[in-house]
Amino acid sequence: MEGSRERTPHSGVVKRRSKSQSYRRSIRTCFGVASGLSLTPALTARRMNICRKAPRSQNITEKVKPEHLALLVKTEWQLSYVTPLYQFRHTQLKTYARQLSAFIAAEKQQGLAVEVGGLQNTFKVSFSVLQGLAETNDDPETVLIQVQSKPMFARQEDPPKTVWSGWLSCINGNPEYLQSLPKDFTCLPLFCSKGAEGLSSLVKSWLQRTFDCCFGPLDINQTTLQWLAALWTNCHMETNIQKLKMIWTLPVVPPLQVTYTVDSDDALELWRSTRESSAEKSRGAEDEVCIDFSEVTRFMQGLMSHFYRHFRVDLSAGELNQVSSALGSAKLNGKIKISSSRYLISIFSLLTECALLKMPI
Amino acid sequence: MATLLNLSDSDHSGLSDQSVSTRSSNRSLRIAEQERRKNEAEDPFVLALKYFSEVEAGTPVTGNDELENNLVRVEKVAFSRGLSPEAISIMLDFAMSLRMGSSPCARVLKCLLPASVVPQEAVVRAIVWLTVRKLPTSTQVLFIKWVLTVFDMIDAKDKLRAIYGFIFSFVTDENLCPFICHLLYLLTRKENVRVFRVRKLLEQQSKLGRQPYLLYLLSLYKVFCPELVTLSIPSRMKSGFKNHISPWKSALIGVQRRNGVQVASGISLAFAVRDKTASRKRKHAHLELPPLSPVTIKEPQAAQGSSRKLVPMQQVQSFAQLLQNMHRIELPAQMGSLLGSSLALQYLDCVQDESALLRLNFWLGYALHEEFLFCSDGGANKNPEEALQFLNRLLSAQHFLQEGFNSSDAFLFKFLNVWDGSLLRPQILGLLSNIPVIPSSQIKALLFDPLMQLFFTSSLFFKCGLIECLNHMLLKWLTWHSAYALEDDLDISLNSHTSINITLSGFKDSVMELVHFVGRLASLGLQLEGCHSLLLSFILDFYETVCDTFLKFGLPLVVMPPPGVFYPAFFAADPISVDRLAFIMHRYKVNLTSAKRQEKVTEQAFHISRQTFREFNRYQVFLVNCLWNSNMCYPEAEVRLSDELLAQSGVPQFSTRFDLIHHPAFVSYALDFHHKCWPGRKDTDLNSIKQTKPWSWYLEYLFTQGFDGLKDFLQNNISRRVMMAGDRREDGTQSQELESAPQIKQPLLS
Repeated sequence: MEGSRERTPHSGVVKRRSKSQSYRRSIRTCFGVASGLSLTPALTARRMNICRKAPRSQNITEKVKPEHLALLVKTEWQLSYVTPLYQFRHTQLKTYARQLSAFIAAEKQQGLAVEVGGLQNTFKVSFSVLQGLAETNDDPETVLIQVQSKPMFARQEDPPKTVWSGWLSCINGNPEYLQSLPKDFTCLPLFCSKGAEGLSSLVKSWLQRTFDCCFGPLDINQTTLQWLAALWTNCHMETNIQKLKMIWTLPVVPPLQVTYTVDSDDALELWRSTRESSAEKSRGAEDEVCIDFSEVTRFMQGLMSHFYRHFRVDLSAGELNQVSSALGSAKLNGKIKISSSRYLISIFSLLTECALLKMPI
Repeated sequence: MATLLNLSDSDHSGLSDQSVSTRSSNRSLRIAEQERRKNEAEDPFVLALKYFSEVEAGTPVTGNDELENNLVRVEKVAFSRGLSPEAISIMLDFAMSLRMGSSPCARVLKCLLPASVVPQEAVVRAIVWLTVRKLPTSTQVLFIKWVLTVFDMIDAKDKLRAIYGFIFSFVTDENLCPFICHLLYLLTRKENVRVFRVRKLLEQQSKLGRQPYLLYLLSLYKVFCPELVTLSIPSRMKSGFKNHISPWKSALIGVQRRNGVQVASGISLAFAVRDKTASRKRKHAHLELPPLSPVTIKEPQAAQGSSRKLVPMQQVQSFAQLLQNMHRIELPAQMGSLLGSSLALQYLDCVQDESALLRLNFWLGYALHEEFLFCSDGGANKNPEEALQFLNRLLSAQHFLQEGFNSSDAFLFKFLNVWDGSLLRPQILGLLSNIPVIPSSQIKALLFDPLMQLFFTSSLFFKCGLIECLNHMLLKWLTWHSAYALEDDLDISLNSHTSINITLSGFKDSVMELVHFVGRLASLGLQLEGCHSLLLSFILDFYETVCDTFLKFGLPLVVMPPPGVFYPAFFAADPISVDRLAFIMHRYKVNLTSAKRQEKVTEQAFHISRQTFREFNRYQVFLVNCLWNSNMCYPEAEVRLSDELLAQSGVPQFSTRFDLIHHPAFVSYALDFHHKCWPGRKDTDLNSIKQTKPWSWYLEYLFTQGFDGLKDFLQNNISRRVMMAGDRREDGTQSQELESAPQIKQPLLS
């Protein structure tokens, strides 16, 4: 009796169900066919690149229309990250514009239904593609959203004013990640917006409902700020960045804010010296100028120790809040402003990378 | 009154019930039927109905006593028993056709209390009368209110739906509009939502201002066709349509109570805009489940034809509806919303769409990351209540689906590194136990390293919780294996969930890693906590799972507990731990013997290492020697102390201190037994139990105390001969015999 009972588990239970059937019954099947995405991130956490190409001055105007570029530069953008958009089509932008303007109108006038596609006299939304910003074949084209409105007491012939604008982009996104997504998804992880907070949240909430995506704030952390400081300094070889300005806060009572401005030539000299010392170690591929994060760290240490020698204040105890130069400025709370289109691509590649790091899976 | 009984269905059945209960014959039934017919002909109520169906148009009302009398009769019946479908049909037709003008109309409408159902045809006809005859506005409103009140009692709705456009035309009537909107709300199907109707309603909106009834109807239109209309309902308006039951309420409830039908619940119309909790102001939007709303922008090719037939998830209200529409349910715009409803979870269980699950995982992962890792606005520490709710909901969804979501796994692997071990502990451990099999190459970095740190720096309760959680995890892995593994296909991809194909040997490695890991935790944990019996109990739970992996789950793997678990459990002062240890050892033996047997029978054998058998034998010999042979210090013992040291302790006969009588866990039982066995004896001599008879009685006594583990262990490991041998024992030779006899049944497994 005992014998027969004992033999069952390995043969009996297992044989009863056919494999295909039991597998089909399980949700897991869906993941079974799923691309690498469903798991890989869980087991192999993505990390920030520790090495990146030095930004080179690009004549981006050849690729991107100047009027488009003019929209992007010289404005301060608030950054967010976005999870991949489901069933987003670059061909349906007109429909989206209609939907979103009706949505904004309905939300602004709570309790009043609005016909989709009807004439909106308060808010007019336009969606457009910013051609040419995508760097690789995997990058989806950047999408610009603008909300225009006519002021209450404007004259008839006055043109509508752009009251809000934002864009979704992916520049030099991690190809492995992008390719692992099923084709229903469009990954535009970086969202930059400018305008009234209320409109931002309306647009976000519409995008969330329409494309089943999620928005989270994207701060520019210490590491990224340090990268920016180094990259901008490196640009001084080609373009005058005038000054490298950094703002630190130190945890003392009362809080101490330190604005540290370095002349661009001095900064470049320091940068060159850190580069040289490391270049001696690895003098290999000279054609492709790569910057290692260890160099960035050393550069920052150099700046901080200089400051310590003069003021006896150790900046490493504090927090870097802001970095700015003639090329642009970046703040810890996720605000960035680009002043020259020449290095736009490399800066936004860096930010795309940051946004992708925030992806939950 | 008896004559009135036949007028409604329920009464009718009451009559037949009665006749059945009195067990009367067919004949008496026939007589009753005849009686009923006879009564009907003379029944004043039937006559009254006849009057109303035949009365000619233009008959004066004022001073018409006949009308008054008949109306009173109908009212009397209506308010006591309710009206049968035919009666309702007749009376409604009489009132709405205005055959006697509009003055009796309202009075008739107020007494239209259905006893069972309302015939659809009557309602349709009345609606047609509504356009033909000029009813006073108040009566029109009263009629629509009546329709709304009895809506759930109308026997079918197909013809009403067929005249949807006709009913819709009344929305332009300012007075009727609120009620017509409500009626349309109840009737609307996807095919009824058209652009021109939307425009008409919007036109009304611009005329009448923001009216809740227009908004509610439009919000339903939005559910069906979000591409046509959009709106946002302000929170103060979120209550839904009003009930218009008041003119009939008390009478209707009375009728229904008397008739014993429960339709009243259907009268209150639910208008679910959103659940109540959502209206509470939330600071942390990311923990809020998205509303269940339909997809706004359809795929262009799907927009025609097929999408017409799709049913939005939001419209599915019951499990029956879900089953009916299983093949054509449209997923909501935001997959996260499925977590909020149990009905949707049922559906999620069947969803085969990879993208849909990915969407859900993106949302879930996002919410968990924002809340617990990025802590963009304070995180879980600031709003533990919401986080708790959220995780509980997630857990119940996972329990329902019987598996985890991989975004929560990914989150946990990160979170374990920053977790303090106390924040939302039960929930986090619950999620952790749902983690699917991890390849053994990664298990250490992902799971063991962070858990190890947490374990050694946390309280006793955390240690217990963690061991329990790991036990659940192991159970789930093993159950999964036993459900999916195939005997002849050892190289199955065990966990397609993670899209990493694990072979059977890979799976075995992972399980082994987990068991060894828990063994390490348990040994050190017991040391740290001074062999706390609570912790020990959780550890023994775990080994109860481990010892049965082969027989219960068909996994050819046997892992023995480390000495750091075995000996503390044996030396425990509570009998339950020792009993459970004996049970575990018994199960190990059963598993090992059957594994051994199968190894011989089947060709494709798995190999259980000699080391495992050796470990098992060592424990087995130790147990038998200590408990049965009263000889703790046998030559091959693993734990040995020098005799001098033991002698110094001053404990007499130290070698016997852990037999079934002297073991600290059992000594109280031995004493109790002693008292019962020799009630008169003044001096207690426990050794006297070792005599043959008392010994077997003592064993019996112990087994009746519920020590089933011990019973299984002893009966299977001490050979019958030896058990019986006790009978032949003489007092003097007893100790020698116990020492010398090879009490262990047969050669041990090797």
